[in-house]
Order: sequence, then structure tokens, then C-alpha cells
Amino acid sequence: MSQTRPELGTPTSYTFPKPRRITVGGGTVVAVDVPGQHLVSLRLVHPFGGAVEPLDAMGVSALTSEVLEDGPGGGSSLAPALERYGAEWVSRVSWDGFITGLDAPAGRLGEAVGLFTDAVRRPALKPDDIVGRRSQLLERFWLEAASAGTLAMRSLGGQLFTGRYATPLAGGPVRLADITPETVAAFHAERIASVAGTLVVVGDLSRVDLVELGKTVFGDAAPAPEREISEPAPPPGELPRVLIVDRPGSVQSALVIAHRAPSRSQVDLPRAEGISEVFGGMFTSRLNLELRERLGYTYGAGSRFDLRRDSGVFFMSTQVEADTTAHSVTSSLEQAAELRDSGVTEEELAAVREANTVGLPVSYSTARSIAGALVDMVVHDLPDDHVDRVRAGYERLTKEALDSAAVEYLHPEEAVVVVVGDAGRLRGPLADTGVGPVEVRTPDELWS
Amino acid sequence: MTARNGVQHLTGIGAAGQLVRYTLENGLRVVTAPASTGQVAAVNLWYGVGSRHEVPGRTGFAHLFEHLMFQGSGNVAKGEHFEEIERLGGDINASTSTDRTNYYETVPEHALDRVLWLEADRLATLRDGMTQEVLDNQRDVVKNERRQRYDNQPYGTALERILRLAYPEGHPYHHPTIGSMADLDAADLDYVKSFHKAHYGPDNCVLTVVSNLDPEDVRARVDKYFGHIPAREDVPEVPDAALPEPLGGPVRDQVAETVPAPGVFIGFRVPAYGERGFDVMHLASAVLGQGQGSRLYRALVVDRPIAADDGGSAADILPFRYTDSLLLVNMLAREGVDGDTLEAAVREEIAKLADGIGEEELERARAVLEREHLQSIAGPAGLADAISSCTQLFDDPELALTWPRRWEGITAEEVRAAAERLLVDGNLLVVRFDPAAGDQETAGA
Repeated sequence: MSQTRPELGTPTSYTFPKPRRITVGGGTVVAVDVPGQHLVSLRLVHPFGGAVEPLDAMGVSALTSEVLEDGPGGGSSLAPALERYGAEWVSRVSWDGFITGLDAPAGRLGEAVGLFTDAVRRPALKPDDIVGRRSQLLERFWLEAASAGTLAMRSLGGQLFTGRYATPLAGGPVRLADITPETVAAFHAERIASVAGTLVVVGDLSRVDLVELGKTVFGDAAPAPEREISEPAPPPGELPRVLIVDRPGSVQSALVIAHRAPSRSQVDLPRAEGISEVFGGMFTSRLNLELRERLGYTYGAGSRFDLRRDSGVFFMSTQVEADTTAHSVTSSLEQAAELRDSGVTEEELAAVREANTVGLPVSYSTARSIAGALVDMVVHDLPDDHVDRVRAGYERLTKEALDSAAVEYLHPEEAVVVVVGDAGRLRGPLADTGVGPVEVRTPDELWS
Repeated sequence: MTARNGVQHLTGIGAAGQLVRYTLENGLRVVTAPASTGQVAAVNLWYGVGSRHEVPGRTGFAHLFEHLMFQGSGNVAKGEHFEEIERLGGDINASTSTDRTNYYETVPEHALDRVLWLEADRLATLRDGMTQEVLDNQRDVVKNERRQRYDNQPYGTALERILRLAYPEGHPYHHPTIGSMADLDAADLDYVKSFHKAHYGPDNCVLTVVSNLDPEDVRARVDKYFGHIPAREDVPEVPDAALPEPLGGPVRDQVAETVPAPGVFIGFRVPAYGERGFDVMHLASAVLGQGQGSRLYRALVVDRPIAADDGGSAADILPFRYTDSLLLVNMLAREGVDGDTLEAAVREEIAKLADGIGEEELERARAVLEREHLQSIAGPAGLADAISSCTQLFDDPELALTWPRRWEGITAEEVRAAAERLLVDGNLLVVRFDPAAGDQETAGA
């Protein structure tokens, strides 16, 4: 006989594992022991990313990050050497962080970390390697931007910011060409080699000596200097407005509708992320239910914040069948306006509150995801109990708090609409929407 | 050495020897395993139905059907399944391949009953919740999925073209899982219902639960929600996937369209997933093109360099259980390098495998594959998926933990000999993309 829907059990209260913090020389080790997890995630965080690059060296972080893979011996020798230990090199540059790391079996961690340290602190930085990596990166920019969704995201910065953020993170496709081997060497010496950073280690640590690990990785490098924060200015231009990046023959259009938002430290995270989730952060959010599940225009639609130390962006993104482009734009903007006007439902409030409280064991069920959270805490100077504080914030959320967040954080009237698609087909319908002035550009005009 | 080392770790993940397996009276195969972090339950179901079961004129149906499984059943409204799991902060999704369709949820432990109930309800009563309206909606969604992944993506149709060359017309692996637009248009409600009846029975499913709950407790719960669902009355005939003829290569598909650079896609038929010959060729693919120590990366990205930097992911193997699998190699040309030059260079590197493989590079290949395997089972969801896979396809859940041992006994000479036999022109397919005339300038700008 068929069973009736069972009641949920009582959730067990979740507490994020308290990391061990050990100061070693100029750096700090932040570690979480996950017994039985023998693939250890190790991340070295340097607190400088693309945002602090001078305007004549845009992309130097990304290029340096790539060049580290050439290893202490040069010639792309790092990854193959690590592969023999069953270890995987990890590197990522964001606007606010320069992250390197390894995923490695706990039993081989010591050997792998020795090599890792040489690679980060004492790379060969051969000029030929650097020039080779640079031209690969420049070419990869267009290979990746041949995908409509990627091109749309990369087109966004110049619509919202002047200064560094107007050029994509990796400096492509134009400015990166100016980075010389000398620029890379100077950047590496000043920002990476001589700065200890913070070492995040997550996994089964029963056989790992964290102090030794810290000594190996930090050596005699110095603590990281403080960073000055100033908010970048917006570019001129009427808002809202539409930019079509022409991609002739596209059967779908990639849309990114975005506006500026406060910085990470300025937002009230549970309210801001909560309202984004109601709007577009989940499968059952309004945007996806409307564009996918009701209209059938897309495979998926969503929204999120990109919160940086000095500023932020809120954006919604989707890829829709070409003929539905104009309606998808107006419909998305209407959804945002509606959420501001009418606020959230009790069900939406409950969904956001519960997903971000009882669901935490799911979010942190792997060493990688725990390491990811710790890296985020390091980059943004957050306390060790950050996850628990945010959870407490979600537990306190009310309808009024989310309604006010919609008004505070969602601004369709200030949006820039970036559409990557067939301009010949889209220009008329997009102009007819009356959203704002429509400009058409080709991809290679965007960053000249 | 690395392989042996890895096996120690595998036994150390806490799950080896602790898998519990049983079969309900209705044929449902159930496996439980412990999780390495607490308070979480990963539920994973593998149904033994995929695009290989589709008949001509109905391509894409198994996958479209997967979408419909989220659209409501007898006691669950449209959208409710997603809503319930997301509200729990859970992860939820599904995927369809040639050989199976999987559905999975990872939730906080206290929600396990609810998830089992939701899964049982759509297995038992999906047909009661299905309407023309949701079929029409999801057909549009899937057509947009096809546009997003295939038609509006540079090189997006590569896999479709590869399969077309690799398997003859009418063969169940000739078409891609996404199907064709025309066949998606032809899907009707009666067929949806008959498909559910034909393929969705507990006797065609493996259910895995990874959690720290007592296996006996999990067993009682699974029995409570799934025990009453009857097995299928009839088991449908599976389309014949035998390949009486060799490939007859080289066969090729030359494409000129809007792409940013020439692209070379090469494939070879290799033994079916699960055979020792597959494992041998899996190692061959890692020697060739997995990791930055691989031959293709060293030769064509670092040394010459004529191929775009893919981070060491040029080769892979498509694991087909019920017919020949495919070893695939894919590289894109650097600026100023023409497709013929790149293709000739890639084929030359592949051919060199037959000249011999060093012990050290085989060790590296084993380590790369082993790490990939460990990474895939490092979380509860991945572990549950691997267990379902090994149970559904090989009737052996422990394989999910011990898989790297299969690579231990394979020698360099065995890989070399297999390469000499299989990576030959007669077994070769090539799909080549070149920028259409007039596109090149924009693409390279």
C-alpha cells in the first residue's frame, strides 16, 4: 500500500567545524580535521587579486598564476611532477585573492607540499615560458568567448565600472599583451614569494604535522600587508540600457542583466543572499519558474551576487531561444520589480531560512567545500564562526527583513542588459521593449 | 607504487567492508554505505534505461522523460519535488546517458524519509500526475537545452557527429542522448506513460543511501516506501547493440562553420566498459592525453606548440557498457596553425603508442586515474553514484571502492599491444571543424 507523505524528522543543529589556527613564522595555518577523508585539500591564500593590479599591468595575476605551473624547473614541469604523487595542482585568481593549492592523498602530502612550495616560492619564471603562456591565454580568451554565455559575462564589467573591473580578470584580450616577463617577475617577488599568506588544510590530518607544513610553505616570508579599499566609479551612460554584442546566426541569446551592489562587508548577507535566492538562486526561484517552467524559453535562469571587497554586482543570467529574447528581458525586469513591490511569500521566506540552516551539512559534506568556505573567510577577513553567524542570521530572517532587502538590493531601474546574440534579429524587438537605449557592438570592439 | 598506495587510502575512506547490499522482493537492489561527514544522507537511484533503449523516431525520449520525472506524480504537484529538496538546502538533479538514467538527492539526515517517499511516489505513480501541459513545457525546455549545449555552442555538435560515425544507422548508440528536434516534437503523452510502465519498475533500479544511519534502520525505511511497488509485468526488449562489422575506417566528417579555431576530434572503438580491454585503453587514454604529463600535452601544447592549452584533458574514454566504448581525443589549433597540421600531429602521437610505453609514464597514468577516482567518491553524493553505477552495471557495489586495483596488473606491454591493435586507421573516425570562409577574421581578432 502506498505510504502517505512522511513528516520530516527533527533536524540536528549544525555547527561548522572549528578550525585550528596556528601561527607559523609570518603566516597562519587554518586547519579542519575530517577523519576518514584521505584526500586532503590544501589552499594557500594570498590576499591580493586582480582588483589591486595597476592599470598598466592588468592580467598580471592571472598570467603569474598560469606561469607557476611551469614549476621550479620551467617548461610546464610542475603538474607532471605532482601527478606522480597522485596530487592535483589547484590555482585560482579572483578579484580579491590569489589562491594556489593541492588536492593530495594524506600519505603523500609531505612530498607533494615540498614540490608545491618550490613551485609557489621559487618558480623558474623563464621568459620564454611566460611569453608562451601569455599568448596561450590571449588565444584562450577568444576560444572561451566563442560561447555566448561566457562572452556575455565578460562584456559586463565595462558596463558597470571604470578602472580595473572594466577589463576582464585575465586582462584579455588586449591589455594582457602588454605584460612582460619582467612585470611577472616583479609581481611574483613582491606579492607572492615574499608574502607568507594563509594556509588552509582540510582532510584526515591524523598523520599530518601542521607546524612542519606551515614551516615548509611559509619559510621566512613576511605577513601580508594591509590593502587599501576604494570604490571604483561607474562609467557614464543612461540606465537602464541595452548592449547587444553581435553574434550572427545565434539560435539562442545569452542574457546578463546586472546592476551594481554594495561590497561584501557592506551587505547584510542573509538578507541580500536570501532575496537573491527568492529571485533566482534556486531551481524553484521566481526567474526560473517563469522563464523555464512556465514559458519554456530556456534551459535555466538564475541570479546571484558577486560581492567583492570594494564593490559588488547583482546579476541575473540565462540563455533563451532567440525569438523570445525581448520578452525574456522584459519578463525578468518585471519579476524584479514585482518582488520589490509585493515582497516575498511566507513559503519563500521559509524556503530561504530552512535551506540555509538545516541544509548546512549538505553544503559542507566534502573536504573541498569546507576548504572553499575557509578560503572565503580568509579572503574577506571573516571570523572562524562566520558560517554559524550567517546561519543565525538566516534563523532570524523575517518577511519584513526580506521585503526590505528586495527594495534595498534589487534595482532593475539601474540595470544594464547585455545580450549576446544575432543583432540583426534582436535590435528591433529589443528597441521596441522601451527598456532603454540599445547599442550594438561587435566582440572585438569591446576591449580595444 | 602509487596504485598500491591509493588502495590503502581506499580502504581508509571508511566505507570498505561496510557496504551492505540486499534485494527487496520486488527486485529493487539496495546498497547502504557510511558517509565521511555527519548529518547528511545521499540518495541515488540508477534506472537501467537510457538512450540505447530508444527506437528510431523517438530519439531523446529517455532524457525528456527524465525531465518529466520532476513534473509531478500521484501525490506530488509539479515543481514540488525540487521545492522540497531545495527547502532542505539539499542538492538535487538527474542525468541520462546511453545506458542509464540516474536521480539523486543529498539532504540533511532528518529528511531521508521524505526523499525516499518522493522517489517512491514518482516510481509508483508518475503516470497519474502527467499532463499534456507539462509535456509541452518540458519539451520546450529540452529543446533549449539542446540549443544551449549543442546548436549554439562552438563544436557543440561534435559528440553527435562522432556517434554517427562510430555506430551504424539503426544502432542504439548511433544517436546522442539529447535526441533530435523533430523526434522531441513527436513525443506524445501516451508514449510518456508507456515508457514509464516499460522501464520504471523497482526491478530495474538500484537505490544507494550513503549516510551514518544504521544500515538496518535504512533498510526498514526503504522497505516501507518501496516494498509495496510491484515489479514490471513485462521487461521490454533491448535494441540489439551488437557490432558485426568493424568500423571500416578511416571515416570522417568535415565541418565548416563558425568556430574560433580548427578543431580535431578523433575516436576509436575500444572494448566495452567493464572488460579488461577497456581498462587497458583507459590507461592508454591517460598516457596520451590526461594530465599535463601526458604525451599530447607535452608534445603539442608545450614543445611544438600547435594546440591550445587544455590543461591536459585531450583524451578521454566514453564508457559504454553494452557495446564498444569510444576512446576520444580532442584538440584545438593555435592561432595560425591549420587543421591539417594539427590533425596530422595528433594522429602521429597516437600512432607512437604502438612503439612502446615507459614504466614511469604508465605509473603517472595510473596515479592520474586513481586521483580522479578518489576525487569522484570523496563526497557522499559521488560515492552513492559510484556505488549505484557499479551495482547496476556490474552487480558489484564494492567495485566503487576498489576500482583502481583494476589498473594495477596491467603492464606497459599490454597497453602498447592494445594500442597497436586498436589505434589504427581501420578503427579511426575523425570529425574536423574548420572556421567557415569569412569567419576566420572575426574569430581570430
